[in-house]
Formats: sequence, C-alpha cells, structure tokens
Amino acid sequence: MRTMMQKLREDVRLKEGLNACMGCGICTAVCPAAEYFEYDPRSIVVTVQSGNEEKIRKLIESDTIWMCGQCMSCKPRCPRNNCPGLIISVLRRVSQETGAFVKSRLGRQQYLILKTIGTNILETGYCVYPASVVPETHPEQGDVWKWIYDNKEAVYERVGANLDKEGPGAMRKIGRENLDELERVFAESGGQTLFTSIVEYSRAYAKESGFVDANGQPDMEKYTDFLLNEDNDEK
Amino acid sequence: MIDKKHIAIIGGGIAGQEAASVLTGLGYKVTILEKNERMGGMLNKWSKLFPDFSSSQLVLDAVKVATDKNLNVICNADIFSVQKENGRFKLSDNSSLDVYADAVIMSTGYNLFDATLKEEYGYGVFENVITSADFEKVHKSGEKLTTADGKAPRRVAFIHCVGSRDAKTGNTYCSKVCCITGVKQAIEVTQMWPECEVFNFYMDLRLYGSKYDALYLEAQKHHKIQFIRGRLSEVSERQGKELQLKAEDTLQGRPLRMKTDIVVLLIGMEACKQNEDLCRDNALELDENRFFKSKNIYNHRNSSTQSGVFLAGSCICPMSVNESLESARSAAMLVDKSLKVQER
Ligand code: SF4
Ligand code: SF4
Ligand code: SF4
Repeated sequence: MRTMMQKLREDVRLKEGLNACMGCGICTAVCPAAEYFEYDPRSIVVTVQSGNEEKIRKLIESDTIWMCGQCMSCKPRCPRNNCPGLIISVLRRVSQETGAFVKSRLGRQQYLILKTIGTNILETGYCVYPASVVPETHPEQGDVWKWIYDNKEAVYERVGANLDKEGPGAMRKIGRENLDELERVFAESGGQTLFTSIVEYSRAYAKESGFVDANGQPDMEKYTDFLLNEDNDEK
Repeated sequence: MIDKKHIAIIGGGIAGQEAASVLTGLGYKVTILEKNERMGGMLNKWSKLFPDFSSSQLVLDAVKVATDKNLNVICNADIFSVQKENGRFKLSDNSSLDVYADAVIMSTGYNLFDATLKEEYGYGVFENVITSADFEKVHKSGEKLTTADGKAPRRVAFIHCVGSRDAKTGNTYCSKVCCITGVKQAIEVTQMWPECEVFNFYMDLRLYGSKYDALYLEAQKHHKIQFIRGRLSEVSERQGKELQLKAEDTLQGRPLRMKTDIVVLLIGMEACKQNEDLCRDNALELDENRFFKSKNIYNHRNSSTQSGVFLAGSCICPMSVNESLESARSAAMLVDKSLKVQER
C-alpha cells in the first residue's frame, strides 16, 4: 500500500508548494482563515514536512484542511517560497480520493458542494448559477437576493446580462458543445474521478450512519438534510 | 626587499585600516583607496557596540592608521577595475587615477539592506517604521528615540531578519549580527524610556558570541524585554500614526495583532554592489551570496580566487567588528607570507 506521503508526493503541487519550512509563522499571520478559525497553516506545513503518517492521516480526516479559503495570500510572503495553500489543495485531493473526508463535518460537506457547484458547472457551465441559489436554502443571501431571485429576468436584463439566452453576454446560455468539452476536461483532468469518489464514499457513509430507504439503500435526500442540519447545529 | 613592495587596500573601513597598520608595521608600502570622503566606513554610522556598549569611536580611534612615510591614503577613490599587468596589479577608478601594486587587499565591506524593498513593512511609507541604522543615528546624536511627532514611545517592536533569511529578498543567508544588535538596541530603548514596553520578534535567536547570551539574559531579566517567536508578516498604520503588526506567536500557535508606536527593522548585511565591477578584469569570483569567494572557506578564507588578491573583513561574509579586525590581521599576514615566497 502506498503511504500517505507517497500519495501526497504524486501531486506536482506538493513539489511547488513545499520547499522547506522554517516555521516562521508568516503564513499564519497573513491568513484570513486563521483569523476566524482554530486554523494554523504553519502547523499544517510542519506536519506534512514531518512525513509522520499518523499525523498526516489525522489531518486529512479533520475539519482543518477545509478551512482554507485557497486565497493564496500565503504564497507571496513565505520567506522560503513555500505555498501552504497548495499543500492544502493536495491534502484535500488525497482526502477526497481516500474517503477520509467523511470523517469530519466540514469534509462531509464535500457532498453538498459537489451537488451544488459541481452540478452547476457540468450542467450549466457556471459555478454559481442564479436559478440554483434558491432563497429558502440560502437564507444567508438575505432579502435583497430573494427579490433579485424573484425578478431575475428583469434584473439581469437591466444590468446588461443575457441570462440563459442564446448569443453573447454575461450569464448567457452555454451551448451543448461547450458543456461536452467541459465534461471531457473533467474526465481528462481527474475531476470526474474525484466526483465519483466523493459520491461513493458519501453513499457508504450515509448507509453506515443509517440514512437508508426501504430497500436498505443509501437515502441521499435524507443524508443531504442531515448535512444541512449538521451545519446548523454547529452554528 | 620588503620596503620596495607596495600593497593596495580597497576600502578604508576598520578592516582596511587594520590591515594597513599591520603591513606598514612590517615595513611595506601601503595605499588605502577609500571611495568615500572619509575613512572609517560603516562603523561611522554606529553608536555603541555589542556586547559591552563600548563606543564605536573607541574602535575607530584605535584603528586609525598612524601617519607613516610608507602609508598613502586616497579618499574619493572609487576603484572599479583591478587588472594584472606584467606581474603587478593596476587599479583604476573612473577619473584618471591608476595605482600599481604587488598585492591587493579587498576590504570593501558591506551594504545595509534597503528596507523599502520589503514593502509590507512600510519603511519609507510609515514615519514610525525605522531601521536599526536609523536607531544608531538617533542614539549617536544623544537624543532619545521618539515617535515621528516627538512623543515618548509606549511600545517599541524590533523585527529580526529583515532582508536576511528571506528568499523573497534574494538573501537566504543569515546576517549573523542583527540578533545581538536587536538585543542591544532593545536594552538601549529601555535605558532611554524605562516605562516603554519592548518586544523582539525573532525566528531563531542567533547569539553566537560567547558573551552574547548574557546580554539576552540581561534583556529579559533586568529590562523585561519580551521575545516573541514569530516573523512579522506586515505593518499597517492606524489613526494617529500608531502601527499595527501582524505576526504569529508560533510558540502559542495563534495569530497575533499588536499595536505599537515604533517599529525598528533589524536590517541585514549585503555584499557591496561594486564587488561585481571589481571581479570583471581578473579571476576574482563572488560566492552565492554575492560576497567575495574565498579560495576555500576553512584554511584559505582570506585568499580570493585570484592569486595576489586577498580578502579582509565583511566583504567575505557578514562579520562583527571583532571578526572584521581579526580577519584583516590574518589577511595582512597572508600578504606578507605570499610576498616573501615571491622574493625567494
Ligand atoms: S511562511 Fe513559509 S516558512 Fe514560514 S511557516 Fe509558513 S510555510 Fe513555513
Ligand atoms: S490559501 Fe489558505 S492557508 Fe493560504 S492564506 Fe489563504 S486561506 Fe490561508
Ligand atoms: S542574526 Fe538573527 S536577525 Fe540577523 S539574520 Fe540571523 S537570525 Fe535573523
């Protein structure tokens, strides 16, 4: 079996992201996520640098790696030319591939993100697709968003966008040909494999946790509800 | 015949002068070529020395070369070419000055890191961000360190490793003397303002001298200076020109925000830019840090890669005052040895 370290090293982003860390803490000092969470990119880098299998396994099973906003502010400041953000990208990939993500609350949300943003990209060509940001499931967007949502045809037209229509312009409809190409990009780049992995591991976890239908199969609607509420419980 | 041999020394700082004293003492003819108007080099900018707070003037006075019939001092001589011609060296500056010598000592010293290049620290933008060299200037004037609008600082933060150990500035080496300089200056701040809180943000405290750790102990014990292990990420200015620092207290593992009145950047030592010129017409080479490369760093530290050209002081690597002087003396002895070998 490949070790965690081998799995991490297979990703070129690790080579790019980790030269050698002197533990100075500049990345943590500049990191916006560290301001809000119990989160410390320096210690993540130090853990990966240590090569300690047990600690790395714990890391990819933890909430920690999902707190990074991937803003890459840490890159231009590091005195050793490391990039903690990239190291975290690699940890995330390994967590998605090995199913370690289901062991943490923030990790489990991969399933929700896949169902929203992942589906949006492949089906519409947009990460954030206005029609899918339903006010009921996105109360954080507030009343203004609800109003825009209810009047989206008029609002988007007013600001010069071409929502869901043929032809050029912002938010235009993305043609089948381009969507097929996107799909091929996902297949080639391994994105599709990660999607499959996230879905498979989430289904297994749902079943294990008792979210099953009458036939004993994973009930992903119930599981989705659980994930949404798990998030709320925490708040 | 020793008294017929002529040695040119490029750089009239403490290393150049110390080497000149040894060589004239041995009977050689020596010419010191100093690019500035006055001798003494960088030490002119320093007030007190670590680790015992001696005045730098003491050293400057001690190395001042006695007027000697064998010594010639030329100031404002910015040598840019050293060429071998018929077994001797020809040194030229960009006026019409040409000096011929049998051996050459490079004692070009160092430059201070230009702190404006570390933009996120705000030097040259925020008035209350100063460098260790600025601090020496204040100390030397006999004044007390104050904020830009003349107030007593309530809090001062010293920042270690500015322009050293930092791939982003192109200087990955340690400048070696700035840690102990930071400890010394921190104590000097508390001597000026006993009520002032002083913090040193360090990554490693590199206090390599046998008496340096005692100063660190004194700083903590008697002056209540706080040492925080974390490197500064950025400085911003708040209302009233107060500064805000962002770092991580890496021993606590938490981001740290601190308000302070003055920030002192402990800037590192860099090789002189003109070293590149001085290498052009001969076999001299620079090392990976742009200082002069020694023939070998163990038993030929004072020999350059060009035979007949020797190295003294902090043009080899960052050095303290003591080390510079020792280095200069060994360079001088090496010149003597090599010229005597030539004699035979
Ligand atoms: S900034 Fe770079 S060297 Fe410093 S702790 Fe972060 S990764 Fe390590
Ligand atoms: S990329 Fe991640 S670790 Fe780096 S500064 Fe942004 S949030 Fe922090
Ligand atoms: S001596 Fe200290 S402050 Fe200077 S570069 Fe080395 S570690 Fe940094």
